[in-house]
Amino acid sequence: MTDLIDALLGITPDAPLAALRANRAPARAHAEGAWRELVLPAGPGGLSLAERAALALRVVLLEGSAALATHYRGLLIDWPAVRVAAETFPAPEGEERLALLLRYADLVARQAGLCEQAHIDALSAVGLSAQDIVAATQLIAFVPYQIRLLAGLTALREAA
Amino acid sequence: MSRFTLGPVGWRPRVPPVRAEQASPAQLAALEACPPAQRRSTYFLTLANDPGSLGERGALFTEAMYAAGGLDRADRELATAVVSMVNGCVYCTSVHAQRFVELTGETVLMLRLLSEGLDTPLDPRRRAIVDAAACLTATPAAFGVAVIEALRGVGLDDLEILDLIHAIAMFANANRLMQALGQSILPGGARVG
Repeated sequence: MTDLIDALLGITPDAPLAALRANRAPARAHAEGAWRELVLPAGPGGLSLAERAALALRVVLLEGSAALATHYRGLLIDWPAVRVAAETFPAPEGEERLALLLRYADLVARQAGLCEQAHIDALSAVGLSAQDIVAATQLIAFVPYQIRLLAGLTALREAA
Repeated sequence: MSRFTLGPVGWRPRVPPVRAEQASPAQLAALEACPPAQRRSTYFLTLANDPGSLGERGALFTEAMYAAGGLDRADRELATAVVSMVNGCVYCTSVHAQRFVELTGETVLMLRLLSEGLDTPLDPRRRAIVDAAACLTATPAAFGVAVIEALRGVGLDDLEILDLIHAIAMFANANRLMQALGQSILPGGARVG
């Protein structure tokens, strides 16, 4: 079955890369599973689907992947104001929840070593639970995995 | 003086970890998907706050680092130590540098890599792996045909290269999680990112 990565790269079932990826079926399945759990969970809890898509789009824009940006932009079609905020550089200021989340995404995606307790506490202060904060961090940290897998598979295909 | 070390590095969470004895069935199931030796670590118990993502991500991590066949495990540990150095994750660097040493016995080489950095002299195979790890980590858009050809040139087949890509990508994830959700504590108590 086609996964997000196949769809974004246009990998058809008969392609050499499909056969290669089939050797690592669990990696394929669990990357897809992680993406679903983080971006499109059945129970999003205190981190809304719009916020999740905004965090993902933000990280893609920071790290660069046109196909993945189109994908995450598409998930924000019903929330144009959230999409505009996610696409605004530098990130919006202030202590409003979405602004805090976007600035947290910038920090974790680009300079995670500078993260401090105060950044986590600021998220708690606007009502995010421990589960929400871990989910947001997992999501911000997962998109860099997707970007590098896409870049690696693209290079493998071009070097065929 | 390099911040990186083979010595034991601690990690203090910024979000309260789940208490193992109070974990929900979903949290326990998610922990089961993680590498056995690490299921009760403070780090995984912190991630267990969101069991849905931990279960999938834990299983992905296990496959990336331990899938049978393909790229030698020591090479995966070397690559993930290098990714962790590029990302400045002192904790992850120490863990995977230690595993590399356990698997290869090459303590001197690893200490030199940690202290001198990625330009230290290496045999051609390791040079290609280290360069690929650094490139895909820092500049994914620059990871192109030349990098793949360099890996093939030192004997890696496509499954080994795929395993290398999975391991490098996994630590783009792991380093960020570790650095955001907690603080590395060096031997002696100094706090580093």
